[in-house]
Order: sequence, then C-alpha cells, then structure tokens
Amino acid sequence: MYSEFWKEDILFLDGATGTVLQQRGLPPGGQPELLNLTQPDLIRSVHAAYVEAGSQVIYANTFGANRHKLAASGHSVTEIVTAAVKLAREAAGPAVRVAIDMGPLGELLEPMGSLSFEEAYDLFREVAVAGAEAGADLAVIETMTDLYETKAALLAVKENTALPVFVTMSFDETGRTFTGCTVSSMARTLEGLGADAIGLNCSLGPDLLFPLLKELCENTTLPVIAKPNAGLPDPVDGHYHMDPDTFAAAMRACLDIGVTIFGGCCGTTPDYIRAVRAALKGRKPARRTYRPTAFVCTPVTPCPIGGVRVIGERINPTGKKRFQQALLENDLDYITQVGLAQVDAGADILDVNVGFPGVDEVEMLPKVVKKLQSVLSVPLQLDSSNPDALAAGLRVYNGKAAVNSVNGDPQVLSRILPVVKRYGAAVVGLTLDEGGIPQTAEARVAIARRILDAALSYGIPREDLWIDCLTLTVSAQQEQAMETLKAVKTVREELGLQTVLGVSNISFGLPNRALVTHTFLVQAMTAGLTLPIINPNQKEMMDAVAAFKVLTGEDKGSTAYVERFANQDSAPVSAAPSQSLTLDDAICRGLGAEAAALAREVLQTESELSLVEGHLIPALDKVGEGYESGRVFLPQLLSAAQAAQAVFEVVKDSIARTGGAPVKKGALAVATVRGDIHDIGKNIVKTVLENYGYDVLDLGRDVKPEVILETVKERDLRLVGLSALMTTTLPAMEETIKLLQTLPQPPVIFVGGAVVTPEYAKTMGANFYARDARQSVDIARKVLG
Amino acid sequence: MQLDLDEALRYLGAGSHAPPALRSQVEHIADQLTRSIQPRFLYRVFPLEHHADGFSLTGANLRLTGRTARTMLSQCHQAVLLACTLGPSFDAMLRTWQARDMASAVILDACGSAWVEAGCDQAEAELSARLPGLYLTDRFSPGYGDLSLDLQPALCAALDAGRRLGLSVTDSLLLNPSKSVTAVIGLAHQPQMARVRGCAYCTLRETCALRKGGNHCVL
Repeated sequence: MYSEFWKEDILFLDGATGTVLQQRGLPPGGQPELLNLTQPDLIRSVHAAYVEAGSQVIYANTFGANRHKLAASGHSVTEIVTAAVKLAREAAGPAVRVAIDMGPLGELLEPMGSLSFEEAYDLFREVAVAGAEAGADLAVIETMTDLYETKAALLAVKENTALPVFVTMSFDETGRTFTGCTVSSMARTLEGLGADAIGLNCSLGPDLLFPLLKELCENTTLPVIAKPNAGLPDPVDGHYHMDPDTFAAAMRACLDIGVTIFGGCCGTTPDYIRAVRAALKGRKPARRTYRPTAFVCTPVTPCPIGGVRVIGERINPTGKKRFQQALLENDLDYITQVGLAQVDAGADILDVNVGFPGVDEVEMLPKVVKKLQSVLSVPLQLDSSNPDALAAGLRVYNGKAAVNSVNGDPQVLSRILPVVKRYGAAVVGLTLDEGGIPQTAEARVAIARRILDAALSYGIPREDLWIDCLTLTVSAQQEQAMETLKAVKTVREELGLQTVLGVSNISFGLPNRALVTHTFLVQAMTAGLTLPIINPNQKEMMDAVAAFKVLTGEDKGSTAYVERFANQDSAPVSAAPSQSLTLDDAICRGLGAEAAALAREVLQTESELSLVEGHLIPALDKVGEGYESGRVFLPQLLSAAQAAQAVFEVVKDSIARTGGAPVKKGALAVATVRGDIHDIGKNIVKTVLENYGYDVLDLGRDVKPEVILETVKERDLRLVGLSALMTTTLPAMEETIKLLQTLPQPPVIFVGGAVVTPEYAKTMGANFYARDARQSVDIARKVLG
Repeated sequence: MQLDLDEALRYLGAGSHAPPALRSQVEHIADQLTRSIQPRFLYRVFPLEHHADGFSLTGANLRLTGRTARTMLSQCHQAVLLACTLGPSFDAMLRTWQARDMASAVILDACGSAWVEAGCDQAEAELSARLPGLYLTDRFSPGYGDLSLDLQPALCAALDAGRRLGLSVTDSLLLNPSKSVTAVIGLAHQPQMARVRGCAYCTLRETCALRKGGNHCVL
C-alpha cells in the first residue's frame, strides 16, 4: 500500500540520468548500466546531485539491466543490479528511498514481436528479484508503451517480491502510447492488477502531459505520478529546451488536478527537481474527482459501461457442431472468424467459452484468448466454471477482462473470486445458488446482495460486479419472464449494479423465435438491462439496441442510428444469387456470399467431393492461369481463393452435419523461418493452398528449426513450405532444410520469399523454389496429388 | 502527405496499367489507411567526419563504410539519420485484415509500404525547409547497396528510436514494427545528383552531363 510507503502529501522523484551523464561529458550510445561497474563514482555523484536537489526517491541505474539487453555485455543481471542498487543506496542516505528501475525489454512481445508473455515475465522477474535482494525499497516500471509488457513486469514484481510498485507509461499528444494504449485502459488495468501508484513519464513536457494526467486522475483511485521531459526535443539536434522554472510552473498545475508524485525524465537535471520543489512548497494537492465506472478494456479499446453494451454469445460450442469440431481440431482460425463476424456486426464485448468434452480448458482458454487478441481489439468475457482455466486465461489477457461467472454458492464464490481479484477483472454473478434458481424476484435479488457482499470482502469494487438475473424459457415457465424483469429492475435501481442477461433463452420452443427474443430484449433494456448477451449477427437484435440508444438519449443526435441505416441502404439487399451466375463464375469473380449460396444448391444434387473436384478446383485453376499470364493480379487471385473458402465452409458444415468423410487432399506444413517476423507471403500461400483443399498446418513466424522437425515427425508430413524475407534469415532457412534432411525419409521442401532465388534454393538443398502462391499449388499437386 | 497509388500498385505487381477496378479498390483502401494511421518520423543532424575507410557521425556511435556511403556522402559535411514508421497500429490492422479478407490485406500491405515512404518524403521536405541553403542527397538505407544491415541497431540507438518512436531491431536485424524505414541523408553545400531515386527527383536534371548522354548515375 502506498500509504504505508509514504505518509506525506507529496513525493519527489529524481530526474534524468542520461542527460546529466551527457552534461558531464559522457558520449551517447553504449549501455549506461555498465557504468555501474566501470565508473561507479560518476553514477554515485549523479544520484547524490538529485538527493541534494531534494529527490526523495532515486532510481538506481538499472533501466535496461535485463538479460536480453545485457546479453552481449558479459555481465549478469544480478551483478549489474546489485552494483547499481548499492551505488544508489550510498548516495541516498537514511531518508531517501532507492528504486529498482525497469524499462522496456527492447524486444516486442507477441503478437507484435515474437517474445512470449511468459518469457517477458521471466526477464522482469530476474531484475525484480535481484533488486529486492540488493535491498531496493521499491520497484519502478517506466517508459512503457505496451500494456502487455507492463502487465508482465507488474506481475513479475508482485509475485516475486514484497516491494511497492510504481508504474509509468509514455503517451504522445494523441493520448495514446505507440502501441495505441489509451490512458483509461492503462489506469483501469494496472489498478486492477495491484500497482501502488501509476503515472506518465517521458515523451512530452509537463504542459502537453497535463490533459493526459487529468484523464488519468479521473480513471484511478491510486496516487498519480508525473515524470515528464523538459519539453519537446529540437528535431534537428535532439536537445531539450524547456527551462526549469517553466517546467516547475507547469508541474504546479498538475498538483492542482491531484497529481502527488513528481519527477523528471529526458532533458531534466537536479535544477529541475529543485525548481519543482520550490514551486510546490507549502501547497496542498487538489482533491481528486474519481467516478467509479463499470469498465472492461483492451489496450486500444476502453469500454466503459455507460448504457447498453452488447456481449456476443457465439464463441461457444453448445449446440454447434462446426464449432465443436474446430475446438477438437485446434482450428483457432475458425474461432477467430466467429469472433470477427460478431465484432463486424457491432458486438462490444465477446463472451469466450471453450468448454467441451475432450478439450482441456486450462490449456485452450489462454490459447484462444491470445489468438483472439492478436486479431480483434474488443474486450473479452471469459466464460468458464473452472477457476484454473479462468486464471490461465486472465493471466495472458491484455487489458481488463470480465469473468462469466460466479453464483451465490459459497464454494463457487471462494474458488473464483480470488482469481477475479488477482487479475483485476469484472465478474458476472448469477442469481442462483446451491439450492437452484429461486422463483421470485425478491429471492434472486437476495442472492445478488450476497454475491455483492462476498465480492466486496475480497476487495472487488462494486462496479466490477455484474448481476445476471437469469432468463428462463417462457414456453416452459411463463410467469418467470416478469420475475426476471422485476429482478433486473431492482438490481439496477436499488443495488446500482450492472445487469447481464442471456436473452436468447427466452424463446425456446416457440414459433417466430426472433420476435419473442427481440421483444424481451426491449423489455429487459427498459427494465434496466445494460449488458445483453445476444447473437449480434441477428440484425433485428442489433437494430433494437440501436433504436433503444436513440430513445434513451445515449446515441446523441441519433448519429450512430442514422449512420447504421444509411450504410444498410447502400449495401446490397441480399446475397441471393442471380439467375445467370454459376458457382464457377462466383468463385472466379471472388463473390463469397453468392458462391456459398450456389454451393448449397449444388450440394442438393452432388456430393461434397464432386463439388470440390468438379467446380471449385477448376474455377481456381482458371483464375490461377490468368494470374500466371499477368491478366489477373494478386488481390483478385486471393478474392477467388476466399470465395473458395466460403464454399469450403459450406462443404465442412455439410460434412459436420451429415458425418461424411472430410474432403482432404493431403497435409503440409508452412512456416516463416526463425528470426523472420514478416509472414504475409506465407499467409498468402496458406490461403491459396487451403482453398485447393490441402490441409495446411500453419506453424507461424519466427519458427525454430526443431519445431518444424518435430511437427514433420509427429504428423508424418511429406511436404513443407518455408519462407524468409531477409538475407539475415536465409541461414535459418538453410539450417531448417539441413535439419529436416537428417530424417530417414525427409519431406519434400519448397521455399520462397523476397530474397530467395531459384539458385539459392538449390544451394540450400530445397527441392522446389516457389516464385509465388500459385506455383506452390503446382508443387503441392506434384507431391501430394 | 500523399500516398502514391501508383507505387502501391507497383508493389502489387500491377503498375500504372492496373485494371480500373483494382485501382479503385486500392484507392479505397489507401483512403481507409491514411484516415486511421499517420506515419511518424524522427531525424537528427550530425556532423560528418571523413576518414580513409569511410565516415563517422560525431555524437553517434556509427561508422559508414563501403562504396554506397562513399558515393553518397563524399561531398557532404553533415549527415541526417532518419527513422519513419507506421507503428504497431498498422501491424495490428494488417493482422485483422488478414483474418477478415486476404485480398484486401495484400492491398493494405502495399499501401502501407507506400505510406511509410510518403512519411519519409514528408520528413525530407521538412528538413529542406529547416535547412535553407543546404542540399540533400537521396536517402539510402542499411541493406541498400553495400551498406550493411548491421548498422541498424546503432542507427536506432543514435536516434533513441526505441523510446521516441517505439522502434525495435530484432536479433536478425529486422525493424519492428514492420512498416518502418531507417535512412541516411547527406547534407552538402552544392546540389546533389539523384543516385537512388532517379532523374525525375534530381536537382541537376536540367544540366546533367550523364543524362544528356543518355545515362544515369546509379550505385
């Protein structure tokens, strides 16, 4: 707790280290952390200058002291960190606190780079532990631009040391970090994860940081830190020009919005800290105006629940054969498509349920969370009753998630709420308990109150509890619909909590289900439902939400409503195929919806196999020939491939329903080799090959040779495609080929990519060179048939 | 700042003779891109020291050796290091588009390449305006000619591009985010030939002896 760490109103940090070192004649470049060993007197004197200027916390010189950045230095993390903390301690004296300082790792995390969340955690853990053992008083995580990396660092400190943690991130004038993280997403996520103080450092001067600090103060109850630059650097020579007095005056304005922790970053020196201390002398920080808000987010998409927010229900295997098959086959691309369609239809949050017999939820949930978050930016609601699966999913989630669900059963509450608290999530509480679902609204509200008390006792704030009063099927228990609505109204009005309902349940067993569901949705929203869980792909449901937002005034000026219907008017009325269009034409012209509809017609009279062999592949060949002769360009080739994909979905769906034999033409693996992160070329090859019916195992990018070898062995693959974009990654391609050729029966290997030539392919020992995706089809045909 | 559609079409293998439907598709996607993502750039001017084996930049831990550097910088007294990127937002957008529609995604990818070049052009224009009386060479990048990719980490460090632009260099010397460019630009007191980008860009195009003879200067 911050209040135990620091009792006074205001806390003064230090300023820049690099700037002072340069002032003292040190050339830029090199690793400043090594100076802890080579020039200890210099480093100690910088710290001493800040202590003398009035800093009450000084940052040890460990900003880049992680294993990744020190790899080439010949020094260990412990060695550098121990020396750095010792120097800071010597300068600090008894009254000044010493922080272990942790900056970005210098390598981007997944999905931007290839460093995994777990590896990042481990790198930070090493620094944090070394810092704590060396006797640091607190840990500081600063200059972060990736919320995911920040989360890894924060968990690493909290789970491995007892140090208080301050976290600051760097935003630009657009109010986002380089990775697109917003101030509110940062604040809500980090407070949920248990940071002791949060704030902003670097990138801007205190004047331009002011509006962002204000936003930060409105989004957190934690103490807020300002550690800005001395203005903006001169673009030509890189120097900072804001003088100490101007800097201090701007910092005084920050005190007046409730900032209480002050320091400086690039371009600041002890003079700046002295000036800030003088400017704040005798002043009291302003009282803060934090408004509790129900909130979930990803870094780029904050989702405050201020009105109705739609939770998409489709990522769920219950009653969906195709989805079940995808889960069992580890087909994460399909699950992503289900998510994407809901986002495109307007879902604000996606419920994610991967529980199915034969699926290990503890392994699958984090995998699906990572995959979805690499493609989509909406917040997720993790739906499971397994606390281990929830913990695994929440741990790798980037942002603040929701959990679905707990209920009034004390055992459930004690199993799940600690996980919710630990990862700072919101949670859905179902108004049932070990005795079942109560029949009256009053009894359901009583359970809601019990869940609320339990949540509060774990330190979960009330705005993070969302209550589900449960929809029962009206054809079975007719009187229950009104009880549910009554309970929603009471929970919203008397407890002031957000409310969730799985709406679709209401209409089971009735004709014209959509009408009943739609009507109940409107009634429920009127009663106070804020978080309907629905199928957003049903247009009339989303239309109802859009209209509701107009009538409640949430959609100011009806802007969103007007836009919604303006767009719908100009869109094609239906995907119904015109009389003259054939399936082959639809594929060639890249008309996915039409092709799918025509494929369904064809399947009335032909088998799945005959559809693929007789229509789909000849059509793709025709486009492929056009591409080879230069009449058709890559985007058109891919459009045709995607129309073929839509046809394949129809085929797969039909097979899943009828239990017929899958249409597979043989399997191969594709991978972008180790060290290479550009994979669009490989993805193009995958798209085209899949739509010729090949089973393409996509190993991803930056793939180690050993992983490719293992996959080939395990799956007994006869064909492997490798891609590399840069000259620097060609050696990894060659290494992979050589490794694969150590197998008793090596697979056929084809290679491609910007820097690969036919000659080089031969030298490396590849069997084929593929100039483009089209040629990879010819190769696959030769090898797999 | 203007995204060059012909350049994007060239990246797609279509060039200026692309079918109108493709061109309008590229135009539409370029519009979506330029409305949502702006290139960011960063540059810094360094004094240039001439040595027997190449050049060094005072205040940066960077040595430029080889034929490319010699050809480009021999008349220069200063050099600019430049970095420009579309940032991780572009990569995120491209990932989403690849999941949704590969055909549009390859167009977005091509537009991204053209857009980051437009950012570099903008940075050059800004530089020219800030440095009246000086002439810029074409920009040239690590990996171009015989200029080594190994320079990438030092170049980014000299610009503090990690902190100020969010740029990182992988162990295999790739820039991340993917649509990023680093470059060197020489500054001279006399007009500079267009050695990289062609005669149309050259300040000497009216009087160039090579051009009159039907030739051009390339690295």
